[in-house]
Amino acid sequence: MDFSFIVMQFLSGLMMATLLFLVASGLTLIFGVGNVFNFAHGSFYMIGAYLAYQTVSVWHTNFWLSVLVASLGAGVLGMLAEALFLRRIYGRADEGGFQILLTYSFILVIDDLVKLIWGTEYKSLARPSGFTGTVELFGLSIPAYNLAIIGIGIVVVIVAWFVLARTRSGRIARAAALDREMLGSLGINVPFTMTLVFGIATAMGGFAGALAAPLRSVSPGAGIEVIIDSLIVVVIGGMGNFWGAWLGALILGEVNSFAVATVPDWASLFNYLVMVLTLIFKPEGLFASRKIRRV
Amino acid sequence: MNQSSGAREIILLGLFLLVFGSVPFIKQSDYHLMLANHVLIWGMFAVAFNMLFGVTGMLSFGQALYYGLGAYSVGLVVKNYGSAMFLPALGLGLVLTIVISILVGLLVIRLSGVYFTVLTLAFGQLAWQITFRWYRFTGGDDGIQGIMPSGLLENHTVYYYFTLALVVVSIWFLWRVANSPMGLVLRCIRQNPERVRFLGRRVRRNQLRIYVISSFFAALAGGLMAGVTNSIHPDMFYWTSSGEVILMAVLGGIGQFFGPFIGATVIIVIQDVVGARTEYWSLIIGIIMMIMVLGMPKGLVGEIRGLMARYAAGKVNRG
Amino acid sequence: MSRHKFFYVIALALIVALSCPLSVFAQEKVIKIGALYPMTGRAGLYGLDSVDAAEMAIEEINSKGGVNGYKLELTNTDSKAKPDYSVMVAKRYITQDKMHFLFGVVSSAVGLAVTEVSKQYKKIFIGTDHASTQLTTDKFQPYYFRVSNNTFQSMAAGALYLKELQQVKPWQTIAYIGPDYAYGHDQWEELRYNLDRFGVKYKAVGEYWPKLFAPDYTPFITSIINDKPDILVSGFWGGDTVAFIKQAQPYGLFKKTLYFHPDAGGNYELMSAMGTELPEGLVLSARHHNNWPDTALNKEYVEKFFKRTGRYPTYAAEGAYAGIYAIAEAVKKVGNPDDTEALVKALEGLKIQLPEDPEGFTSYIDPATHQVVQVQAIGVTKPNDKYPPAKMMLGDWKIYKAEDLLPPKDYADRQKKK
Repeated sequence: MDFSFIVMQFLSGLMMATLLFLVASGLTLIFGVGNVFNFAHGSFYMIGAYLAYQTVSVWHTNFWLSVLVASLGAGVLGMLAEALFLRRIYGRADEGGFQILLTYSFILVIDDLVKLIWGTEYKSLARPSGFTGTVELFGLSIPAYNLAIIGIGIVVVIVAWFVLARTRSGRIARAAALDREMLGSLGINVPFTMTLVFGIATAMGGFAGALAAPLRSVSPGAGIEVIIDSLIVVVIGGMGNFWGAWLGALILGEVNSFAVATVPDWASLFNYLVMVLTLIFKPEGLFASRKIRRV
Repeated sequence: MNQSSGAREIILLGLFLLVFGSVPFIKQSDYHLMLANHVLIWGMFAVAFNMLFGVTGMLSFGQALYYGLGAYSVGLVVKNYGSAMFLPALGLGLVLTIVISILVGLLVIRLSGVYFTVLTLAFGQLAWQITFRWYRFTGGDDGIQGIMPSGLLENHTVYYYFTLALVVVSIWFLWRVANSPMGLVLRCIRQNPERVRFLGRRVRRNQLRIYVISSFFAALAGGLMAGVTNSIHPDMFYWTSSGEVILMAVLGGIGQFFGPFIGATVIIVIQDVVGARTEYWSLIIGIIMMIMVLGMPKGLVGEIRGLMARYAAGKVNRG
Repeated sequence: MSRHKFFYVIALALIVALSCPLSVFAQEKVIKIGALYPMTGRAGLYGLDSVDAAEMAIEEINSKGGVNGYKLELTNTDSKAKPDYSVMVAKRYITQDKMHFLFGVVSSAVGLAVTEVSKQYKKIFIGTDHASTQLTTDKFQPYYFRVSNNTFQSMAAGALYLKELQQVKPWQTIAYIGPDYAYGHDQWEELRYNLDRFGVKYKAVGEYWPKLFAPDYTPFITSIINDKPDILVSGFWGGDTVAFIKQAQPYGLFKKTLYFHPDAGGNYELMSAMGTELPEGLVLSARHHNNWPDTALNKEYVEKFFKRTGRYPTYAAEGAYAGIYAIAEAVKKVGNPDDTEALVKALEGLKIQLPEDPEGFTSYIDPATHQVVQVQAIGVTKPNDKYPPAKMMLGDWKIYKAEDLLPPKDYADRQKKK
């Protein structure tokens, strides 16, 4: 393995990691702030991808505009889902189980709605103009779009961290994660905050779906395929922690990338192995945002 | 879950046996027998799962691990040593399950809440990936076909009664556990683990016990299922199998001992009826689930009981 | 409150289940075909195309008066691509709905499970679109017939193509990438077996196994580029092919290495999904092509399908179309759809003219293996917008004779020993 190959493989891992992170970031946000495990997060990712396809390939507009449309569309749908359905089960005994079931029912419904609207054919989206070529970096040629994605991932993690840690809205969001009742008595509209945060989280899913669309095939069932990997990322990083999700994604991306290059036969096992090992030795994830109630 | 008098239990048991015992006589085809078999096996799986979730408050998303383990023990042994080994293979699967569930259980019970859920999911998925990937040994994604029980059990009706007997014994056993002092401790653990610990009860040991018991019956369900469908597939380890059993339990009512059994019955029948009539089954099942979760938080059985209780109370009040 | 009331619910549910026979009580004589195609998820498109093509064939036959006074009738249940559920539906088809034929199936795993039911109940199962060679070799049973090529045939044609290529443009190294499940592994094994059989000298420099439906291939791509193979053989299907090509193209992989995808690569869905993004010069094949052979039958089939559905068919459609005609031919020979043993005899060696047959060739079912024997054509992607939304189609065809693609006699025994 020569040095330039190691660099190349590292960049491939980084690329994979960024896409994983972009999908997982919304999942970790809604978990960290809302204590909601949104099993249907992948479905919002899929909606984002389809909305991007619709905007670019059918309405023939600019790709970056489609990213915006996809994020807004997924966000609005997410807010509706929260306000109409999820809100009703907060505080119920065994809320966790009901959250999984309710969001699982979203997956089933969204899958069929997407099929009704767009059919079962595979859709594809071209890379945006200006990002179709390659960039020469350290004597390696890297696709420009891949570099753009990696850059966007870094921006997202920094912005998210800044908003949560340094702004008033971020403080409210973090407070909501700890004690919703207390926040309510301080005059904050807690239900609205929850809806908004849920919307932002699903918008991040849609954002990821739109950005990934030019690299993947847009097809029904795409949501379910990304959710397990995103879950692994979130769990490794510590639920609700942005830096954790980014690091978790980075670990998975790089482990995968070098497993492919060295032990391709067993590469597919590594994701689960990494997750099981992390949970055994550091059950709360690498960056736990709060202490786990242990029994 | 109130304590019941012996007489009521006997009536219950009699009804249960009557309904399921008569299936081979009133069925129109082999298919109905298979459907009833699925109901029995999933019903038992769901009741056993609920000992973990509904009773003790441990939401495992990885019971498919044991369901698959039971099925693959039977499948692999029968494939390699012939169908005469069907029953020993079923036993082997159960023994393996006890060993593995103790080992995995020791790791997972250290966590609670959603962390427990996710770790069980991780183990289940790891088992799925290994089964899927270990092509030479497990047959990989192709699964294993032609798993026939031997001797008398080869007959579908005999096999059905064999399943019925095992399911009745299992459910009776679980009922006894739920209503034993241990069951009481488990329910307390669900409500307040700290207090249980102060009272000198060992929380972890009881959690491990119930995890092993629940897993044991999941494996029995898997092993029995291998004899019903005659072919098995790594999907049995996949998280969707774990999800299905959760769905059955919640739908039927996790606060009721028999709720999950009803849930399993309803889900299997709905899947079959809806699946046969429309390709948009996932939309319809999704909407049914949504309605159930939002409108019937206590599950089918819990809600019906609540309605009846209110009706009875109303009658008393209004004279 | 007495608990036994809840057992009424069980009883009620069971009664509902038991009193729901699905069969349509038609007065006229009907040949009932029970299909199990997936209608959801990644393989949903194949299911949809198959059902449409089968319905199309049935209308053609019924409008001409049916077969021996029998009308054909197709019922499809979404298999959800789940083997255990499919087994249950297959049992319902046979014992409850009294279907005459089991039909369809996209996933090989479902195919293997359903063939077991077919064997148990002695009902004919017509396989239209699953590729696993096992079904007609070591898992062969007398009531199973397959009317589309299996992976062995595709790989034999692929090996012959590579052999010819070596004489024109000497290549030495080969790498493989395919989904990490039976289908992906079988193709690579069968290709190597056939390369050895035809005496091709080569060096394998890499094997890659991304999981099925993996979203990201970047690490695989950079690793393949590092291996510098002359030929990259691919065993993907569907959306995975699309994603892989899209991700590999900007790395310039297809300029350095010949992309060779002889089983499912040439499926029309790839051309229709990728449009102008599909690179030129990829070597692909599939079990049916919309623009080959240039026969009246194929043109008519493709046009009719397009008129009916508004889209051009994937290869799955032609398999289902062929399956219906095979059933019709067999019933015509026997006179009724009830005598299973006679139908088996009729299907063995059955000759049937299909859209994918070039001039002067007729597909037939090999009596020994129950596998249809067909010509295989391998082509190269070239600009062609006659089948929109595709902008590229295959061309520069190389044709491989059906008989050269069959597994040798000892192949089934060899597989069983493993």
